[in-house]
Order: sequence, then C-alpha cells, then structure tokens
Amino acid sequence: MDPAPALYTIRIHGHLGATVLSAFPALVPRHLGADTVLTGLLDRSALYGVLAEVEALGLDLVEISQLTPQPKSPESGDSGPP
Amino acid sequence: MDRAATGLIDRGDLLAALDRAAARTVTTISAQAGSGKTSLLRAWAGRPGQPHRVAVVQVRRDELDAQQFWLALLGAVRHAPGTISGADLPAATPEFDGPAMTDRVLSELADQSGRVMVVIDDLHELNSPEALAELTRLLTTLPGDVHAVLATRRDLRLRLQQLRLAGELAEIRAADLCFTERETRELLEASGIALSEAGLALLHQRTEGWAAGLRLAVISLADHPDPERFVAEFSGSDRTVSEYLIAEMLERQPEEVQQLLLRTSLLDRVSAELADLLTGRPGSERILLALEDANAFVTSLDPERTWFRYHPLFADLLRLELRRALPAEVPGLHRRAAEWFVQHGQAADAIRHTQAAGDWPGAARLLADYSFSLTLDGQTPTIQALLRAFPPGAGADNPELALVHAAVDLVQGRLDQAAAHLTVAATYAETAPPDRQRRLRVAVASLQLSLARRRGHFAGVTEQTKFLASPVTGQSAEDIALGSDLRAIALMNLGAVEAWSMSLPDAERHLREGAVLAREIGRPYLEVACLAQLGFASKVRPFATTRRHCREAIALADRYGWGADPVVAPALVTLAGNLVLTGEFDECERWLQRTERALQTDIGPDIRLLVHIVRGLLQAGRGRHHEALEGFSAAEHLRSQLEGSHSLASQVTGWMLATQARLGMPGEARSCLAALDDERASSGEIGNARAVICLAEGSPAAALAAVQDVLDGTAPVIGNVTVVEAHLLAGLAHRDLGDQRSANQATERALALAEPDRLVLPFVTTGSGELLEALPRHETAHAALLTDILDVVHGSSLAAKDEPPTAQPEALSPTELRVLRYLPTNLSRPEIARELSISVNTVNTHVRNIYAKLQARDRSSAVQRARELRLLSAAATR
Repeated sequence: MDPAPALYTIRIHGHLGATVLSAFPALVPRHLGADTVLTGLLDRSALYGVLAEVEALGLDLVEISQLTPQPKSPESGDSGPP
Repeated sequence: MDRAATGLIDRGDLLAALDRAAARTVTTISAQAGSGKTSLLRAWAGRPGQPHRVAVVQVRRDELDAQQFWLALLGAVRHAPGTISGADLPAATPEFDGPAMTDRVLSELADQSGRVMVVIDDLHELNSPEALAELTRLLTTLPGDVHAVLATRRDLRLRLQQLRLAGELAEIRAADLCFTERETRELLEASGIALSEAGLALLHQRTEGWAAGLRLAVISLADHPDPERFVAEFSGSDRTVSEYLIAEMLERQPEEVQQLLLRTSLLDRVSAELADLLTGRPGSERILLALEDANAFVTSLDPERTWFRYHPLFADLLRLELRRALPAEVPGLHRRAAEWFVQHGQAADAIRHTQAAGDWPGAARLLADYSFSLTLDGQTPTIQALLRAFPPGAGADNPELALVHAAVDLVQGRLDQAAAHLTVAATYAETAPPDRQRRLRVAVASLQLSLARRRGHFAGVTEQTKFLASPVTGQSAEDIALGSDLRAIALMNLGAVEAWSMSLPDAERHLREGAVLAREIGRPYLEVACLAQLGFASKVRPFATTRRHCREAIALADRYGWGADPVVAPALVTLAGNLVLTGEFDECERWLQRTERALQTDIGPDIRLLVHIVRGLLQAGRGRHHEALEGFSAAEHLRSQLEGSHSLASQVTGWMLATQARLGMPGEARSCLAALDDERASSGEIGNARAVICLAEGSPAAALAAVQDVLDGTAPVIGNVTVVEAHLLAGLAHRDLGDQRSANQATERALALAEPDRLVLPFVTTGSGELLEALPRHETAHAALLTDILDVVHGSSLAAKDEPPTAQPEALSPTELRVLRYLPTNLSRPEIARELSISVNTVNTHVRNIYAKLQARDRSSAVQRARELRLLSAAATR
C-alpha cells in the first residue's frame, strides 16, 4: 500500500450545502452537473475517514478516483482543482 | 399510539419479505443510513401475533468494548417478552472471557422454549474484532429454534459462507427497503397530507423511495400551507436530499426546538435535564416528547421516556450544523455536559466530553481519578479508547496518564510495562500539587502492591499496605469514594500476600475486612475477590470451614455471573484441593475443570501453580503416578518463576520427589534432595519425601528416622496432611521391619488424626491399603473412615459429602449416629455393643430407629441411604 498521500476526487450525487461540506474540511468542492466533486490530498486513513463520513451522512456516492500525476510534466498541475 | 399519528404505515409486503427471510437461520439487512431498517424491525417485532420471542439489542455508537456488547445481548435474551428468567444480568468485570460469554448466551438460548429471534441493530457500530469473531461463532451454532436478524449499514466481515451454502442465510438489501410509489401515497395519506398524483410522483422520484427522505418530507409537509410548492421546490433543488430536508424541517420548527436539537446533538443520549442545562432554559421535556410523538427522528430509550436518542443520520447532520452555526459555543457545551456527567458518576461520558472541549489536562486528571473505578467496572477497553483520544504531544504525554497506563497494563498482565509506567507516575506524584499528591501516592502504592502480588514478590510490601489501609481523610465525596476503592483493593492484596506467605490469621482478618468494605461501597467484584482469597487463606482450617468460605465466594460470584471468571479462581481451586484430600475425586475433577475454564484469560503463575498441584494430587489419588509427576513438576517449574519463596514450596517439592521415588526413580529424587537449601530440607514435607525415597530403596530404618521430626512435632509442617502422611510412612517402615504391632499403632494414629476432616488421600498416595487391610477391625475406632478409604484405594471416588441432601430425614440422635457409623463395617451387633460399651438390646433399639428414620429395610440399604445423606462422617455427629 502506498503510504504517501495522493490526490483523490470523490463524486457525490447532489449539491452539498455548507452544513454537509463542513464535514469535509480538507477537501475542495465543485459542482459538476447535478453532482458535487470533492478533491483533496488524502492518505489512506484520511480517505477511509471521508468514506465513513459519506456513509454516516447518507450521501449518494457515485465515484472515487485517484488522480495520477502526469509523468512528463509533474509541475504543470493541470489536473488539480480549479 | 395509533399508527396514523406516528406517520408510520403498515408495509405489508416488506414485513412478508422479512417473514420469509426469517425462516432461515440468519437474515442480514444491509442498507445505508436512513433506509428504515430500525423501523422495519420495530414494526415486525411488535406485530400482533408475532410467533417469535424477539430479543432486540442495539449496538452503541462506535462500540469497542466486546464485553458491553455481549452483556447487552445477554440482557436482551433474558428480557425478551415472554421469557421466564429470574437471573440478574452479570456485571462487567475487569477480566472478560469472550468465548465463555458466547457459550453462556448459546446455552441460555438453547434453554428457551419456542421460537426465538435475536435482532441485532446497528451492527456496523461494533468495532471489536473479538466480538465479531465470537458473534460469527454464535450465528453459525445457533440452537434449532433460534434465528437472528442483523441490521447494518454496510456488509460485514462475518464469516457466514457455511450458512449461505446451507441455504440458511437470507439477505434484504437497500432496494427491498425503498418505498414504492403506492407506499409513498399511503404514508402521505396516513399523515393527513393531500398531494396531487404528479406531486406524489415527483416526491417519490426525488427521494428515490429513501425512507429517511420521505419521513423528513412528511414532517415539513404536515403543516405546510402549500405542499405542492414544497415538492416542486424540493425537486428543483440540486442539494442532497437529507441536507435539504433537514434544513427545511429545522427552519419550520420554533426557535426553542431548533436550539434544543442543535445544542443537544453532541450527546449520544439526551434527557430533559441535560437538554435544559445545555439550552439554558426549562421546558425541554415537553419538546422531546412532542418530537417523538411527531416521529421526528427522536426515540425514547426507556418506558418512562426519560432518555432519548436521535436517529444517527439526523444527529450527525445536526452536529455539523451546530459546528457551522455556533462554533464558539461548542467547547462550552461539552464542558457543561462533562460537569453533569461527573456529578452523575458517569465517568466515561464525562471524560469524553472534557476531551471534546479540548481540555486535555482536565481530561487526563479525570481519567487518572476514575481509572480505578472504570477498571473495577470492567471498562478497560473504554479506558484504552479514551487514552487513544489524547493527541500526541502535550495531551498524551500528561504524567497523570502514566497511572492509567499502569492500571491497564496490570489488568492485562503486562507486568514489565506496568512497572515502567508506575515509575513515571511515582516521580510525578512527588512533584504534583499538594491537593493531588496524597491521592496520587495512594494510587501508585495500590498499583505497586497489585504488581508485587502478581509477581509473587511478597517481601517488603507490607509497609506500603499499612499506608494504604489507613483511611483516607479526604475532603470531597470523590476523595472518600476513591479512598474506599483503594483501601478495599489494598486489603485484598495485603490479605492475599499474607495468605501466600502463611500469615493466615492476618490474611483472614484483612480479607474479611476488605469484603465488608467492598460490600459497603457497592463493589461486588472486590467483595468476590476478597472472599475467594479468603477461601484460599482458610485452607488449613477445618475442612468444613474452608469449604464454607469457598462456597460462599463461589455463590456470590455466580450471582453476578462471574462463576467462571479468574476472580473466583482461588476459591475454585482451593475447593478442588480440599475435595481431593477427602477422596472425592469426581467432585474434585469437576471443580478443577471449572478452575481451568476460569483461568483461560489469566496466565499468572501464582494461581496456575495451585491448579497444577491439585491436578497432581488428583492423578496421584487415582494411582496415575506418571501424570501426577507431570502436575507436580509443572507446579515446581512455576514456583521457581516466582520472586518470593512460596508458602507451599516444600509441599510441591516433597510430593514431586516422593512421586519420583514411587515411579522407581529414587536416584533422581536423591539428587534433587541434595540440591535443596537447609530451610526447605528441614521441613516436614521434605522429611516425608526422604522417607518415601528410603522405603523405595529398601531402607525402612532410615525411613523411620526421616519422619521422626514430623512425628515428634519438631519439624515445621503445612497442615495436618503432612503429619498423617508421616504416621503412615512410619507404619509402612514398621511393617517392612516386621513389626506389625507398631505398624498397626501408627495406622490407627493416622486414622485418628485423619478422622476430624475425613482425610483420605494420604492413605492412597502412600500406598497404605495393606496397612488398613491388616488392621484388625476391633482395634480401630475409625471403622467407617477405614471402609471409605479402602473403597478409594480400590479405585472408587467418594460421593460428594457437602452437597445439600435431597430430602431431610428425621434427625438421628447422637447415639444413633454413633451406632450408624459401625454399620458399614463387618462387625456384628454384639461386637458393636462391645465397641460402644452398651448392651446388645440398646444396639438393637438404635438400629431399629435408624432403619425407621432412614426408611431402610436392612443393614445394606441403611448404609446406602446414610452415605447418600452424608451421615457417615465423624463431622456429622458433632
């Protein structure tokens, strides 16, 4: 298991309001259609903490993905949150 | 309450699905938060005509403590409607044995008649791997008429493949729980909400039939001026269903209700009193009752409706909203809650809220102060969880916590770590503020004493104990309560140490004092501990006294459900050891097995040593000398691990050497003998062993010399057993020397010494059967005992004497009892008359009366009945 934190995006159905977003202080939200995408640098245990929070709040999880940095231009940062 | 008022509808299809599933052994209901799992289970369990007896347990939030879970489950099984069980729920103990508890639950389930359904709700909250493993075992070995339903937010790692393959596992999943459109309509109608077909379809589509969403919508819709508009706005919103609906619902509540919900959301359980405290105004009771009646995610936990719990999803969202809307108030709310919990003696909650308030030093102080009481309440996992919650650095390094770590280490037998933590705690105590210094010192001393006892390091602890045993002159009630806890622990440890070092009168006094104190302060666990040690401490008293003490301790332990816990092991093993001495081998075996069960979670060498000794004696009594040697050797090995000199050391070594000699290894026994120090070599027990070796070597004269100091009372001995043994060895030596007359005298002397306690074992282990056979019956005043001993020598186990007789016969007079004791012998009535110096006619009258009172037809049935009633022992005539 990779111990280093990685950039994750977590896509949840619906627009999260200020109350629910306060459960994810380490993540940056943005709306994508009818969904909310949360992005942030998480290690494994932080990731599972986020997933537990998603479960506890009854949120509708659509997708989780890890953003792999582009090997050619590691500093370009074009895959990060806006 | 009728169903319309609660807004619940009869979900007939779903209930029928659960009915079908429940025909299998195990049913799991896996679905996300707010899917209506709990509501479904409630409706199903409470349905009229429910054929199962339903035992419901709801797992507490983030339950780490296996013991709390199992106690709750056992409680649910015992209190399921229609269950007849007078048994109290066992109290938690510091030494929890998971497998034994599972067995207990299984056996109680098997004892229930009719169909039983065990319902475990919120199982995803159970975070104890041990508890989950044992639960798997429970589920895969459920008795025939018992079924289980498990409700969980996510699939669990219970290994139920076996059940699945056997077709005994049913699953209900989120899709099955969703409200259909028809059910959505019924729900709205039942709540008195009128909505168009289009509006209804929109609502159903937007919530996707999710139960919590629909229920939240119903609360907002109930008094909404324009339900159609509400639904239209809701379906037009992109926000998540729960957040949207909770915001809507909160907004529609009066200000005071909003304040109450937000400010109490940080509690796991809410009472009106606590809610008044946190909102700063009265009237919370009315609000909480109204919220429950409106089915607004508030449920009462007791029939009196004093404690309430919020739906977990609802509570989580409220808590987020509290932190967002009133962040500055959160620490203060936690502090106020913590104060309330301190005042109400709920230490764990108090510490949790103090931590949440960010007051780490305060939390450390509380945890140090309550670590004793939490340990005694069997909450070690809770202490560990609280310890983990301290942040690295300033919080976790607080020196107060060293004491807590030491207490946990001791319970779990990590003695070296405990010692290290105690050193830190002791150093800190010397620099602590004066008001805490005394308390910390007392706590450190108490733990040091426990550590010394567990290490068998008996020397030099008494001074510490005297400091402890003096009453604490504390100012506050907590000081006094802590002082009493510590004093009771100190008395228990002191008494135990004294018992091990053979200061038996002091031991008995301190243990009795400790037991009385423990009872006064409501610490049954400590009371059992003191009484169990008292059983051991009274081991050289008349056997009737020893047994009474042991049985009292065991009975009290049984009452609290600790009958197979390490705490009662000293009484169990002492009783077993006592029974082996009187030849009641089967009964001894039973108690010994129970001791071994009780010690599954305790590896302390002190107590295991006793188990090996008794095991060795039992094997020796049954003539299995090889196995006996194994037992004594194991005991000898453990003894050498203890720091101090063990009180039973000479007995263990003596029996080991004697057994070696009897197995034809006198040479090995001799070399062990040569290695002993002078003190032990001069003990009576080693003298006896030397005699056995000499007899095995064919030197009866040397054997006689070896026991001489025991016979004339100059050698120190542990109790009467050693003396009886010595007389028998002398008898054997006389016989080997051809002096039958002296052999008979020695045998008769041994019988006389053995009579008060009905000692049997020494006759068997020394191989004195022939001595007894050779003893003319008219030369002994102990014919009944002699007969019993010969029975054992010939391979039987004596029936237990001290179990209560089944039916009490009319009491026999003392003279009748004296006559009765001659009936098992082959003496004729004139011979009995001569023995007792009475006339034959008197004997005949007595015998007639004995037959009548025992309802016996002849001599052999009278003897049989007298044995059953335990009337043949000399003790019974006193």
